[in-house]
Amino acid sequence: MDLGSILYLGVTFGLFVIFAWIVIKTYSRKNRDRNEEAKYRMLDDD
Amino acid sequence: MWEKRPILFLILATAAIMTGTTITMIVPFLSVNTEADRIESVKPYTPLQQEGRDVYIREGCNNCHTQTVRPLVSEVLRYGEYSKSGEFVYDRPFLWGSKRTGPDLARLGGKYPDAWHYKHMASPRTMIPGSNMPDYGWLSKNPLDPDLARRKMKVLDFPYTEKQIADLATKNEMDAIVAYLQKLGNDIPWRKAAQTTIVGDLKNPFIGNKDAIEAGEHLYENSCAPCHGEDRQGEIGPELTDIDMDDADLYEIIHNGISDGGMPAFGSLGSEKVWQLVNYLKEKDDD
Amino acid sequence: MDTPQYNTDIVRSFILWSVIWGLVAIVVGLVVSVQMTNPELNFPPYFTFGRLRPLHTNAGIYGWAVGVIFATFYYIVQRLCKVRIWSDKLATFQLWFFNATIIAAAISLLLGFNTSKEYHELEWPVDIMVVVLWVAFAINIIMTIIKRQEEQMYISLWYMMAAIIGVAILYLVNAAEVPVSLFKSYSIYAGTNDANVQWWFGHNAVAMVLTAPPLAMFYYFLPKTTGVPIYSHKISIISFWSLIFMYLWTGTHHLLWTPVPDWIQTLAMAFSLMLIAPSWGSVINGYLSMKGQWHQMRDNYLVKFLIIGITFYGLQTLQGPMQAIRSFSAFIHYTDWVPAHIHMGTMGWVSMIAFASIYYLVPRIYGKELYSIQLANLHFWLILIGQLIWSISLWIAGVLQAGMWNAMNPDGSLTYTFMETMVEMYPYWWARTIGGVIFLAGVLVFVFNLIKTIRGGESLVSSAVPVEGRA
Ligand code: HEC
Ligand code: HEC
Ligand code: HEM
Ligand code: HEM
Repeated sequence: MDLGSILYLGVTFGLFVIFAWIVIKTYSRKNRDRNEEAKYRMLDDD
Repeated sequence: MWEKRPILFLILATAAIMTGTTITMIVPFLSVNTEADRIESVKPYTPLQQEGRDVYIREGCNNCHTQTVRPLVSEVLRYGEYSKSGEFVYDRPFLWGSKRTGPDLARLGGKYPDAWHYKHMASPRTMIPGSNMPDYGWLSKNPLDPDLARRKMKVLDFPYTEKQIADLATKNEMDAIVAYLQKLGNDIPWRKAAQTTIVGDLKNPFIGNKDAIEAGEHLYENSCAPCHGEDRQGEIGPELTDIDMDDADLYEIIHNGISDGGMPAFGSLGSEKVWQLVNYLKEKDDD
Repeated sequence: MDTPQYNTDIVRSFILWSVIWGLVAIVVGLVVSVQMTNPELNFPPYFTFGRLRPLHTNAGIYGWAVGVIFATFYYIVQRLCKVRIWSDKLATFQLWFFNATIIAAAISLLLGFNTSKEYHELEWPVDIMVVVLWVAFAINIIMTIIKRQEEQMYISLWYMMAAIIGVAILYLVNAAEVPVSLFKSYSIYAGTNDANVQWWFGHNAVAMVLTAPPLAMFYYFLPKTTGVPIYSHKISIISFWSLIFMYLWTGTHHLLWTPVPDWIQTLAMAFSLMLIAPSWGSVINGYLSMKGQWHQMRDNYLVKFLIIGITFYGLQTLQGPMQAIRSFSAFIHYTDWVPAHIHMGTMGWVSMIAFASIYYLVPRIYGKELYSIQLANLHFWLILIGQLIWSISLWIAGVLQAGMWNAMNPDGSLTYTFMETMVEMYPYWWARTIGGVIFLAGVLVFVFNLIKTIRGGESLVSSAVPVEGRA
């Protein structure tokens, strides 16, 4: 493997890790309910 | 959490936006338009050509015409050698376009004689029936501004002579746009290289064939009449009523064109159609 | 809780002006469409196809779409933050400066002051006006968000903020040019670099003007009209961040097979395909929010606009990635297929959502009942049919044209000359004009309905507007 492909795979892998981290954090138990609050509150403004 | 902190949110969003931007838009500056791309024979625009380019931009010709030939078989056949990065190093802005309502113009330079362009620009439909290109004859009433042109050449850092600038006073926008069109794609010697040498014996397959002659006449009206006249009486190209050439030579001229003389090549029509033309041209001789 | 005094005047004015510029865009669109079939209708120097087409696109994107963005964002941001906008004066300045900019843009384009860069045709003095306008808008929205009374920011606010900085970055970078005179400048980038920068801008103008803001509207107005919350806040977290991250890699899919380096093209192709996921994240979120509410498609005209709009967005984001594949691009790039893609987006997605938003807002800010729901339904069907005729006829045209451009004889020569392919387009261009006339008729019905609502219209008895399906 040349430097280009290592870089390419590295970047791809790094991006994937960041993505997985966001998904896990979003769906973690801690956040389960708290994250959904805004969608109810936006209904009662006017 | 970012959902509760707008400033943090803005920073994160900027970072997200800048990642792809950096890699696909900023990094390429390191490798594109560098020395590696440069082509020796590609020259900057002269004052007259640059003026023409600016008319092209002002009139929005790029809304109907592209200026890049892609490396695809049919496209190279139709327009010529595919485009190279080094051919565009003096293009500010680039004019590749995104829609081909009209044909690509990247390899236009040298395809037609100047006279063809003057006539076509003034009235596309009298030359090419069915065209929807607007008439641009009014451009020839507009003078050029030498002082502005000098300023442009300075900003662009292109070489020029005071004589070139002074000459602009005697020219109009139509002269400028024709000069520009004749430069397009012409800085690399692709036309000569693209000429196929015709191998083997050239034998006329249709001698005396009435259908072939009729097909040839139809082709002539579409492809040749704009230059050689409805009745082959000659206009931009010479008259073709009295040809004394053998079939093979005639075939070669139509197939390859006469690149220095302003006769385009019609090899992309295919040998069958070229032979039909040969037979049409010869037939009328015998009348 | 006492309700804050919201600024609705600014929303009113932006709605009014965006509808006016929208009408201009559509009428000029019809003119250029007719010019393609009847070139004798070019009137030089000011009214030729080459000058009017940029006027059409600029009026459509910067007059209509951006006008609606200004109107809806000012409405939404106040409700979601539960405060009045940060500065009324700045907003009023922005309104008049917006109109001044659009007028300056229209005049300068007709005069031929044009940089040639698509969606960035405006010459440098007008460019500066656009920047001032956007900065005024950005400050007002961001400051309002900062002093909000509601801790957690709802989805729509994210898309709004992303669009605001996105447009700022894109516009400034692509605007880099050296002036030669008051009305002429040269790009500081050259050739292939210039192309790459331009389409990084061009595609992300689609992302930051024609995708993120209508999504902000969709995420706000759908729950508001149906009365049930959006299905999942979490799905939208994932799809939001993926969307704004991925979009920026894809600009070069407009430049496949050109001299731009291959690796950038490949990245653009890959990221375009991946974009299906976050795009459909929003589509699915919208559909799932309709669970148990599908009857509202029949009962509530607003829901119809919103759901058909998001459906066109879904189709658009499947078709787009397909066009970004090299082999498919080789075929349809430069043909009439592409305008069909564009107008499914602008007429089917952006305009549908914009109409829905305006129908939602006008009764509320004028305190009047909508004049006629029947007319709103008529409007819906006319623009839907008009848009479908527009796009379907040009998809057929594009495939036909591409097929003819590539057709070869057994001996390796081309089957058709360029003109033989071009004259085949005329019937489809005519069909497009007819589709456009039907669309315009629909919009006129809409305008009539609005005028009747504002002028006459029954006053609303209570302040809570009775929306069907919500009571
Ligand atoms: C409405 C679209 C449209 C616009 C605008 C337009 N053209 Fe054309 N152009 C065409 C079409 C269609 C053809 C093919 C038929 C013909 O030759 O007239 C064409 C052909 C040409 C050709 C001949 C190309 C060839 O290889 O035969 C040239 C040169 C040309 N145009 C130059 C220009 C210039 C310069 C401008 C701007 C001042 C311009 N065109 C504006 C549609 C357009
Ligand atoms: C753009 C204008 C143009 C078009 C289109 C064109 N020609 Fe020509 N043709 C010329 C010119 C100019 C010459 C003279 C070249 C020279 O001799 O230097 C020429 C020369 C010729 C000659 C040589 C005549 C002689 O006596 O030496 C033949 C034969 C010919 N053309 C046939 C055709 C045919 C057949 C077509 C259509 C398929 C065609 N031309 C289309 C411009 C054109
Ligand atoms: C009646 C409605 C409309 C008609 C008849 C119409 C017509 C046209 C025509 C004829 C073109 C030129 C296509 C070509 O060069 O082949 C065009 C391009 C375009 N229109 Fe429209 N249009 C309409 C509505 C809209 C709206 C509402 C918007 C935006 C919100 C819009 C945005 C655009 C854009 C962005 C392009 C550029 C296409 C490209 O770059 O290839 N149009 N339109
Ligand atoms: C995943 C999302 C999308 C992808 C991957 C995508 C992809 C593409 C591609 C590849 C092209 C170039 C076609 C060509 O010239 O060959 C294109 C053009 C275009 N698309 Fe999309 N598209 C997407 C969504 C949208 C949306 C939502 C809109 C909203 C209106 C839109 C508007 C446009 C416009 C205006 C152009 C024309 C650009 C020009 O002037 O050439 N696209 N798109």
